Amino acid sequence: MKRLQIAIESTTLVNGLKVVIAPDTTAPVVTVGVYYKIGFRLEPRGRSGFAHLFEHMMFQGSANAPKMQHIKLINSSGGVLNGSTHYDVTNYYEAVPSNALERVLWLEADRMRALKVDDENLRNQRDVVKEEVRVNVLNQPYGGFPWLDLPPVAFRNWANSHNFYGDFNDLDAADLADVQAFFKTYYVPNNAVLLMVGDVKPEEGFALAKKLYADIPAGAPPPFADPAEPEQAEERRGHVEEKFGTLPAMAIGYVVPKRRTTDWCAMALLDQALHGGRAGKLYRELVLEKQVAVELDGGIEDIFGYNGPTQMVTRILHKPEYSSEQALAAFDEVIREIQEKGITEDELAQLKVKWQSDYFSLLEGGHGGMPRYGLMHLLACFTLLDGEPQMVNTVLDGFLSVKREEILAAAKRYLRKEKRAIVFRLPVAAGVKEAA
Amino acid sequence: MATRLVEVNEAVPALSPERQVTWPSRKRARLSNGLEVILVESHTIPKFHGDLYFRSGNMAAIDRGPGLAEMTATVARTGTTKRASRQIEEDLRRIGADLATSAGSDTSSISFAGLSEFAEPLLGMVDELAREAAFPEAEFERERRQKLEEVKLERTQPGFLAGERLRKVLFGTHPYAQVSPSEEQVAAYKRDDLLAVYSDFYTPENGLLLLVGDFQPDAMLKSAEKVFGAWQGKKPQTQALAAAATPHGRRVYLVHLPGAVQTQILAGCHAITRKHPDWIKLGLTNSLYGGAFNSRLVMNIREDKGYTYSPRSGISALRQHGYFSVSAAVRNDVVAASLTEIFYEMDKLRSVPVPEAELADAQNYLSGVFSMGLATQNGLLGQIAVVALNELPDDYLEKYRAKVRALTPADLLETARKYLDSANMQIVVVGDRAQIESQAALFGELEIFDAQGKLLS
Repeated sequence: MKRLQIAIESTTLVNGLKVVIAPDTTAPVVTVGVYYKIGFRLEPRGRSGFAHLFEHMMFQGSANAPKMQHIKLINSSGGVLNGSTHYDVTNYYEAVPSNALERVLWLEADRMRALKVDDENLRNQRDVVKEEVRVNVLNQPYGGFPWLDLPPVAFRNWANSHNFYGDFNDLDAADLADVQAFFKTYYVPNNAVLLMVGDVKPEEGFALAKKLYADIPAGAPPPFADPAEPEQAEERRGHVEEKFGTLPAMAIGYVVPKRRTTDWCAMALLDQALHGGRAGKLYRELVLEKQVAVELDGGIEDIFGYNGPTQMVTRILHKPEYSSEQALAAFDEVIREIQEKGITEDELAQLKVKWQSDYFSLLEGGHGGMPRYGLMHLLACFTLLDGEPQMVNTVLDGFLSVKREEILAAAKRYLRKEKRAIVFRLPVAAGVKEAA
Repeated sequence: MATRLVEVNEAVPALSPERQVTWPSRKRARLSNGLEVILVESHTIPKFHGDLYFRSGNMAAIDRGPGLAEMTATVARTGTTKRASRQIEEDLRRIGADLATSAGSDTSSISFAGLSEFAEPLLGMVDELAREAAFPEAEFERERRQKLEEVKLERTQPGFLAGERLRKVLFGTHPYAQVSPSEEQVAAYKRDDLLAVYSDFYTPENGLLLLVGDFQPDAMLKSAEKVFGAWQGKKPQTQALAAAATPHGRRVYLVHLPGAVQTQILAGCHAITRKHPDWIKLGLTNSLYGGAFNSRLVMNIREDKGYTYSPRSGISALRQHGYFSVSAAVRNDVVAASLTEIFYEMDKLRSVPVPEAELADAQNYLSGVFSMGLATQNGLLGQIAVVALNELPDDYLEKYRAKVRALTPADLLETARKYLDSANMQIVVVGDRAQIESQAALFGELEIFDAQGKLLS
C-alpha cells in the first residue's frame, strides 16, 4: 500500500503563534484556518453555551473590519468561510482562490488582534444562536440526541456534563464584559495555530504570517480547568422525552482511553469492528440479522481531536414492538461476544485496510465545500494538543500495528457495564403530544 | 436598523493576480456494450471515486409504485447470485471501499470510492450489483419493514413536511409532486416489481460510468471494458409525463405541527432546468438574493434582524422542470415579519438594478466557488456528473466563469422579473397552528393540513 508523505512545514512566531503550512498546487485554492485551544468543555461555569456564542461574535466585527465586512470580503474574493466550536478547540476557516491569501490572513489577524463588537451585535447573535438551537435541537425529532443527552448522565465534572449549546438563561445572562474577558483570556496568539493548506509556497506563507501576526501581543498562558472525572464504578442511566419522533431510541456510551496511550489505537479498531458501517458487528446483528433496530450508528467522535473524557457512543432507534430492555439485550450480546471471542485475523486485516482508506478520505474530506478541511483539522489538533504536526504522516502506523490480543484486551477493559452510561429517549404518548 | 453599506477599509490587502484555473481533461469512451464512460485523473490521494448512473429513477417507475426505484436500489445491494449480504459488506471492507445505492427522481445510482490498488475488485463488485442482484426475499421483506418506519419518521421532520407540501402544490398531478411514498404504497411493494424495475433500468445502454481519481485513464478504461464488457441490455422506453401545473397567485399552506417551537418557512415557484440557457443568470441572481452568506436575504433576516439561523434560497433542477425556493426556520412570533422581508428582497431585485460593485462581488463569489471542485476527487466527480447527466456542452466547465463574469445589471433585473415570481409564490409554513395561523393568513388564501397530509381547513 502507498505510504503517505504530505509535505508539512511549521514554525512558531515570537508571540507564540504556531504556523503550519501544507503546500499542494493541485488547484489554485488555499484553505486557511485559525484554531484556538478552547472549546465548550472548558467554557466558564454559569455560562453554558458561551464558547459557541462567542464563536458567532468573532464574525461581528474587528478593529479594521466592521460587522458584515469579514463575510463580504471572503465571499467577494470567491471564497467560503465558517467557524465551529468543538469540545476542546474552536476553529475559523476559509477556502479561497489562492490570490486572496493575504486578504484572508489579514482578516484573521485583525480579529485575533482586537474584537470590536457592541451590545446590538450580541443581542443579534443571541437571537441567531437561539434559532440555531431550535432548528437543530428543540424543534427536531431526536434533536441533540445523543450529543447533548448523554453527557449529563455520563459525567460528574461540570466541564464534561453541561449543556454545550447553552441553556437560554445562560445565553441571556452573557454580556459584553464576558465576551471581552473570554477573548482576552483564550484568544491570544500563544493559544492558537494558523494553518495554510493548498496553493501556497511555504516561504511566502511564513513571510505573510510574520508580517501580519508577529506584532500581536502574546497573552498570559490561559488557565485551563481540570476536566478529569472521578472514577466511575457503576452503570449510569437517564431518560429523556422525545417530543416529535415515532420510534424509541437509546444511546450507550463507554468511556475511552486517553489519546495516544497504548490502548488508544486498539480502542479505535475495536470501535471500527463494532460501528464500521454495514459490516460492523452492531449494525449487522441489530439491523440486518435480528432486525431489532431501524437505525444504528456511532463511534468515537473526532478521534484525533479530543482532549478530555470522551465516550464511544452507539445510537439506536429501534422498532416499537421491542422494549428498551430487549433492544439493550441484543446490544449486550454483541458486546459479550466480542469480549469473549475478540475478532479474527481476517477481520483485523479488513479493518486495517478500511481504516487506512478512511484516513485518506478524512484528509481530503470537505466541510460545506471546503477542500481538505480534514487535513487542516488534523494538523491543527496535532499541533495544539501534541505539538507535532508531522503526526499526520505517522499516526497511521500505530493503528496498523494493533494486534488481535490488544483488541480483545480493550474490549474487556473498556466495554464494562460499570464504565458506561445509557440514555433512553422515548416518544411521549400521542395524546399527551396533542395536549401539549 | 443597522446600515447595510459597509465601506471597505483601505488597509484590506488587494487580491493578487489570479492563477489560471485549468480543468483536467476528460477521457470519454463507449464500451462495446453501449455503456458510456468518463474518466478523469486526480492524484490527490491514492484512491478513486466513481458513480454508475442509470438515467431512470423514481419518476420512470411512478406507474408501478411511488419510490419503487429507490426500494430497488436499496435491495440491490443486499445480495447477488454470487454473494450474500454479509459477504458483500465484508468484501467491500476488505478492499477499503465505500459503496451506496440510491435513486432520485430522475436517476438510479451506485456510488463508490476505494483504494486505487483495489480498483478492479471494486469495479467487479459494482458490475455484480448492477447485473446480478438477486433480490433475496428475506432481504426485501426486511428493507420494506425498515422503510415503513422511515416514512412514519420523516413525517415528524419540519424540513421534510415543508418540502413535501411545496412539491405537491407546485407540481399538482405531475409525478414530481410526490417526494416519498405513503405507508400503504410501501406495504404494496412486491419483489416482482423490484425485479422488473431492475431489469428495465439497470442496463449498459441506460448507464453512465464516471471515474475520478488516482489512476492512468487508459489502464482504467481497459479494466472497465474487462469488468463490464459482458453485460448486455437495452435502453428502457421512456414515457412522456403530464405537464406540471403552474399555480397562479400567492397561496399559503400551513402544516400543523403541534408543539413546534419554531416555524419552517419554504416558499417556491416554477423556474428552469439545468439545460436552460438562463441557468447561469438565475444562478447569479440566486446567489445575490439568498444563495450565499453575503447575500441580501441572509444579511437582512439573520445578521440585521436575528429572525433565523439558516435562511437560504436555491434552485432545484429536476430533469423536466426546475423550481426556485427560499427557506428559513424562524421564531414563531416573526413569521409574518420574515415573509415580509423575503418578499421585500425579492421585489427589490425585480425593481432596482443591482449596483455594479455588488454584482462584481457576486460574480467573483460564484466563479471562485465553482473552482473549488478542482481540489478534491469527490468535488471533481460532482462537477463532471452535473455536466454529463444534464448533457451540457463539453466545455461547460471551461466556459462557466467567463459566462458568469459577462452578466450585467440589466441581465439580472430581467432574470429576477422572470423567475423570482413574487406574485405567484406558493408559501408553506410548518409550525404550531395556534401560534402562526393569523400571521400566515396575511399572505394569501390559507389551507391547513396535518402532518399526515389531511386537510384540516
